[in-house]
Amino acid sequence: MSVNNLKKIKRFKKHSPVIFKYIILIVAAIFILFPIVMIVFGALKTRGEFMTIPYIPPIPPRWGNIKTVLNMPIFWYMLRNSVLVMITTTAGVVIVASLSAFVFSRIKFHGQNILFNFFTLGLMFPITVAILPIYLVVRQMGLTNNLIGVILVQTAFQLSISIVILRNFFMAIPSELQDAASIDGCSMLGFFWCVLLPLARPSLAAVAALTMVTSWNDLLVPLVLIDKEKLWTLPLGTMQFQGQYGMDLSLVAAFLLISAIPAIIFYLLAERQLVSGLTAGALKG
Amino acid sequence: MNKKLFSKDAQILQQKTNSTWLLQENMTIVLFLLPTFIFLSIFLVYPIFRSAYFSLFNWNGMGPAVDYIGLENFKRLFADQIFLKAVRNGILIVIFSLLIQLPLAMGLALIVGRKIPGRTFFRAIFFMPYVLSEVITAIMWLILYNPNPNRGFLNAIINIIPFLEPQAWLADTRLVLPAIFIVLTWKYIGFHMLLYMTGLQNIPREIEEAALIDGVNNRQMVTYITIPLLAGTIKTSVYLSIIGSLQVYALVWIMTRGGPVNASEVMSTYMYRYSFVRFELGYGSAVAIVMLIISLTFSIIYFRLTRKAESLA
Amino acid sequence: MKKYILVWFLIGILLVIGVFTTLAEGTPVIISWWHIQTETAHKAVWQDLADQYMAKNPNVKIEITVMENENFKAKLTTVMQSGEVPDIFQSWGGGTMNDQAEAGLLKDITAYLDKDGWRETFSEGALGVYAYKGKNYGVPRDMGMVGFWYNKDLFAQADIDNPPATWSELLDDIKKLKDSGITPIAVGEGDKWPGAFYWEYLAVRIGGEDAFVVAASREGSFTDSAFVEAGEKLLELVAANPFQLGFLGATWADEATLMGNGEAAMDLMGQWAPGSFRENSIDSQGLGDKTGWFKFPMVEGGAGHPNDALGGGNGFVVGKNAPEEAVDFLKFISSVESQITQAEVGLSVPVVKGAEVGLTDPTLKLVQRGAADAGYFQLYYDQYLPPATGSVVNDAVQGIFAGTLTPEKAAQMIEESAVREIK
Repeated sequence: MSVNNLKKIKRFKKHSPVIFKYIILIVAAIFILFPIVMIVFGALKTRGEFMTIPYIPPIPPRWGNIKTVLNMPIFWYMLRNSVLVMITTTAGVVIVASLSAFVFSRIKFHGQNILFNFFTLGLMFPITVAILPIYLVVRQMGLTNNLIGVILVQTAFQLSISIVILRNFFMAIPSELQDAASIDGCSMLGFFWCVLLPLARPSLAAVAALTMVTSWNDLLVPLVLIDKEKLWTLPLGTMQFQGQYGMDLSLVAAFLLISAIPAIIFYLLAERQLVSGLTAGALKG
Repeated sequence: MNKKLFSKDAQILQQKTNSTWLLQENMTIVLFLLPTFIFLSIFLVYPIFRSAYFSLFNWNGMGPAVDYIGLENFKRLFADQIFLKAVRNGILIVIFSLLIQLPLAMGLALIVGRKIPGRTFFRAIFFMPYVLSEVITAIMWLILYNPNPNRGFLNAIINIIPFLEPQAWLADTRLVLPAIFIVLTWKYIGFHMLLYMTGLQNIPREIEEAALIDGVNNRQMVTYITIPLLAGTIKTSVYLSIIGSLQVYALVWIMTRGGPVNASEVMSTYMYRYSFVRFELGYGSAVAIVMLIISLTFSIIYFRLTRKAESLA
Repeated sequence: MKKYILVWFLIGILLVIGVFTTLAEGTPVIISWWHIQTETAHKAVWQDLADQYMAKNPNVKIEITVMENENFKAKLTTVMQSGEVPDIFQSWGGGTMNDQAEAGLLKDITAYLDKDGWRETFSEGALGVYAYKGKNYGVPRDMGMVGFWYNKDLFAQADIDNPPATWSELLDDIKKLKDSGITPIAVGEGDKWPGAFYWEYLAVRIGGEDAFVVAASREGSFTDSAFVEAGEKLLELVAANPFQLGFLGATWADEATLMGNGEAAMDLMGQWAPGSFRENSIDSQGLGDKTGWFKFPMVEGGAGHPNDALGGGNGFVVGKNAPEEAVDFLKFISSVESQITQAEVGLSVPVVKGAEVGLTDPTLKLVQRGAADAGYFQLYYDQYLPPATGSVVNDAVQGIFAGTLTPEKAAQMIEESAVREIK
């Protein structure tokens, strides 16, 4: 770029007052943050304080409610169940989706378009729409009140978006590598396992991150399929907790806070993967 | 793949490896696609057919379905004022999202632009509501919307402002839908903003610079260059927003159960109530089928339209 | 590769933990017991009784699940679908229980009641609520009636000397309270059933016993004048604007919180109210000696009698798969001693003869006497009628509260459901 252009751009930027941008951004950020802050305040107050002086920061913070929640065995059951379902679903989705995405991205065959459209059916109607039919089928299979039922359904519904995302990433891997591998005598499976997957690791991480968030936050599938308290997942348990203790607002806030923590930690660690997964799937899908 | 090899031996070798390769390829295709195929058949296709079957019965879920009533359920559905209200509410939410949420997200993305300092910081904040579950979001806002100014933050603030009255946000039939919409915006604006930010990044700098050299001002830049180039992103964002709005469930159910008096009823709460509260499973199946058809029809039309637009462009 | 190993390792550990926790359930006789007493003191009474029984019968393990009212109702419907009913669970009798009995989900305990005079320990009317087609499926623990609970202090503040005895007096008092800046009535109409009490009582006062009997037996209709008039009177009440802000979306727990913290003056509610007021108040004291109670006012010109009562009770029914020990345990918790303990903490207004001595709370005594004096005792509509119609009643009344249904339309809705459901 010539020096003249640089100067022009700098002058252009000066004309749009940056301060306005920041004001808008900060106002928007406050809108986003204040509910969360209010809940943190509420969680750290006693029930009485919540009713009488709810809006000032809790000084000193009261850990009573948090202790109550952590002492409830049902909370740990819920945590365990959520983790179990999340890990199994994610593993399942990553494996099954990458197999299919591989085929659609590297191999040409008859009827691949029709099949691909079929595989992306899951994008066309989200789980809310299909939940009653799903309930009937899972009940027929005898898998209600069983975490395996939840895992299978969650996996099935995450496959479509995952295949789309992975296919896009896989297509970007140069075909020369595939040729080279075939000349070296590497089978298809070998190419898949030894070459493609390691190269596609960022995309697999993205799909994994997406699936983990979706599975962790899923309410509908456990709600409909699970009855037994000991098998509740965290969102389901949170909803039941609020129904049960709704009047003790500070206790509910504490529960919310604790159940939000895993999600937030995960978010901070995996933000990049989440973002790349979402944008890749969304933009090129 | 079909490299030309020169020696005869090599050619024979190539023929042999070609056929084994072909066999391998076919087996791979089948084996690799089979798991997904099985999953989707069992959990997507089969349920639809089964539901279509049950939608023709009056069935409470216990025992086999024996009370065949043909299309009665569907007739009842389309005559039910509450269902029609649910559809209308769904459409309203879609319209609100498209007119308010998406432009706001776009605006924020444009403001943040490419290189403003603190960009990643703001992006992280705006995107956070997306990872919080709908349950947490709903309960959080339930507390915020509490009509008592001593407990609900929103009314507390309104109380301080002199000419505004505290409202019963989730209990007033006129306010409940906007109140829910605010929560939806809170949750998803960061997601759409993220989409637009990424889309913006994909606009080649050269085009912007060329425009600048030609002397465009800010508004012209945005209108004639940025937005048209974001067409793909916008298309996706709109699609996701519509599908998401049509199927919102947890947020509404937890905050209002579709009430008061069905003022915030949406298709998913309607279906949930008839299926899992009243256990009128035949009727619920009919609702599910209708929702399925609506989603599918919308998706197909949308894809056709956008593909046409693209090929015209 | 290493990443995958870590993942599998984690999965493995979790699976092992999962297997062990599920296997850890032992093999003695297990009784599952679902009740809805979330209040601390009441929950403790049940737990204590269970502990006592388990101490006497070491091979029995009683697993208690406590649920909040609405959650319980929701869970029960899903349980009816799966057929996996708990061994002992909360019941209000009436149409819902009849449905359950009809579906074969309940255990017939008629024979047990006939043995050793167990049957005779109960007040006959109360026990009858848990019988269907001549067979018994459960036992009552509590029977009371709905009435107006009020805050004596707040009434005094508004210069109200005596609780209202007629409908117009009620409307006057509401005005006085409003003028004093006090919220006259707390109602959790989001849950629908609290508001239904108003309409049902108005029908009881206006139409008397005949109106309901005629309509429910299908000789008459729910569009008969008594029911439409009830709706019109309800509109009068709503027009006076006596409820708290947001009442249309409020829950029963919201209602109890308002009353418990002295933020509203009156509450039309059943005999469990004081316990809930206590539980939901900041200082856990509730209204204490500020608690007052008066019967639903007479409607001028109504065919009913001022002593007629709307109400119901609570009891436990037995699931079809329950072991014998469950019935034995039921006998244990319906003993006179146990009922006295329940009465003392205001958990139950006793139904076992001789246990009335445990009622120390003066207002609960009023409630009990009121129920005993009633010539016509009407079980809540949504328990008496088939469940589908009961829920239509609640929906229709909510429509009147919200102004989206006229009294005629509301009555019409109920009648249509009755035609469909009552055979």
